[in-house]
Amino acid sequence: MSDKDTTHFGYQTVDKDDKAGMVAGVFHSVAARYDLMNDLMSGGIHRIWKRFTIELSGVRRGNAVLDIAGGTGDLAARFADLVGDQGRVVLADINDSMLRVGRDKLIDGGHAGNIEFVQADAQDLPFPDDSFDCITIAFGLRNVTDKDRALRSMLRVLKPGGRLLVLEFSKPGNEVLSKAYDTYSFKLLPLMGKLVANDSESYQYLAESIRMHPDQETLRDMMEDAGFSRCEFHNMTGGIVAVHRGVKS
Amino acid sequence: MERLFDPALHSAGLAALEAALNRGLSLAPAGKSELTTLSGRVFALECESPPFIAYLQPQDDGSVRLMSVYEGTVATRIRGSAGDFAELAGSQDPASTLINGSLELVGDSAPLLELQAILGRLDVDWEAPLVDTFGDVAGHQVAQIARNGFSFGKRVGVSLSRQLDEFIHEEARLSPPRLELEDFYRDVQDLNLQVDRLDSRIKRLRKRLDQAG
Repeated sequence: MSDKDTTHFGYQTVDKDDKAGMVAGVFHSVAARYDLMNDLMSGGIHRIWKRFTIELSGVRRGNAVLDIAGGTGDLAARFADLVGDQGRVVLADINDSMLRVGRDKLIDGGHAGNIEFVQADAQDLPFPDDSFDCITIAFGLRNVTDKDRALRSMLRVLKPGGRLLVLEFSKPGNEVLSKAYDTYSFKLLPLMGKLVANDSESYQYLAESIRMHPDQETLRDMMEDAGFSRCEFHNMTGGIVAVHRGVKS
Repeated sequence: MERLFDPALHSAGLAALEAALNRGLSLAPAGKSELTTLSGRVFALECESPPFIAYLQPQDDGSVRLMSVYEGTVATRIRGSAGDFAELAGSQDPASTLINGSLELVGDSAPLLELQAILGRLDVDWEAPLVDTFGDVAGHQVAQIARNGFSFGKRVGVSLSRQLDEFIHEEARLSPPRLELEDFYRDVQDLNLQVDRLDSRIKRLRKRLDQAG
């Protein structure tokens, strides 16, 4: 297997063509208890991280928003309220189990009329050029096989002046916090996965995939290389999570 | 403005405050519907020391949204120190404090005064959640007890404050009364003006002497 054809799946090196299927397996497995596990693992803080991301997005009435890897629709639900009847929100996810859970949750929550659900691969977005005012991808980019290709695809479908927001786990800036976070990720997280979702492997992958994800500066450089301008990032909770923002000129 | 808090902490604080405000507004339907007239306007509250910023935006449904970041057009920006904002919060006449106090107002002051007037007129029905929880009869009685307790507490507070004021100013003479203090400040201000005038006069005379020499 040559380096060119391989990628990371957590700490494993796998064939590039196999990663999407392996990631799909993880998310099929966790979809039903995704929200519960998110609340348990983050102590509910993921809602605050998403809230700040929404504030930073600057989304307003009438905007078109694409939420990639939208999962169970936390961001899409809030965007649907913000864009109103004149706007449009597309909840996209490559995984049909996650999309189904998200669609049911949004419809049950009374969100309809301005939301569409699309099963799509972030690397090859099935939308015309210059379609969206804002694109968000929350806790999804690290699972994408070819991140550079995905960033270029997002740039293509953004309108000029549109914003991309990438909310993702990152590297804590403080050594003590980093050590505590490692212990939590590799000891407690798989245990919680085992007890609540009866699936420790998926949560082991989660911890490993976070460590393999590019750090704040590297991801900002990747966004600039893809063609985004005014790229910046905001660390949250000591850098455990960062939100990156870039603009299509 | 440099961030004092982690953005997550800042957002969490605002989220809690927003939830409390909206809960209060849901108990004041008249005020809530009045707030829709300001829907979409954004008010920035900018505290310079300690550095903290919050944006308040009334929504179409009469609720309010609090944000830590807003990059669009702001209707009114209020800037000042934490002390200035505390003075505004505790003021008997907030409109006068806004105009005459040390807070800096940027933008259109009319929507801000309208917001202040709506909030001032809010008639929160605290009985409603108690009635929802305990039923009509028990809920009303609990509310009545709470109201009587609050009213008694308020009367005791006012009486205590007046007696303490009299003791400090008139009996113990620990501090001069407000009117004396204001008179003293006026005298200091007059003296300041006189000194300024004298200083200018001396400068003018010195200039004349220099020219004559």
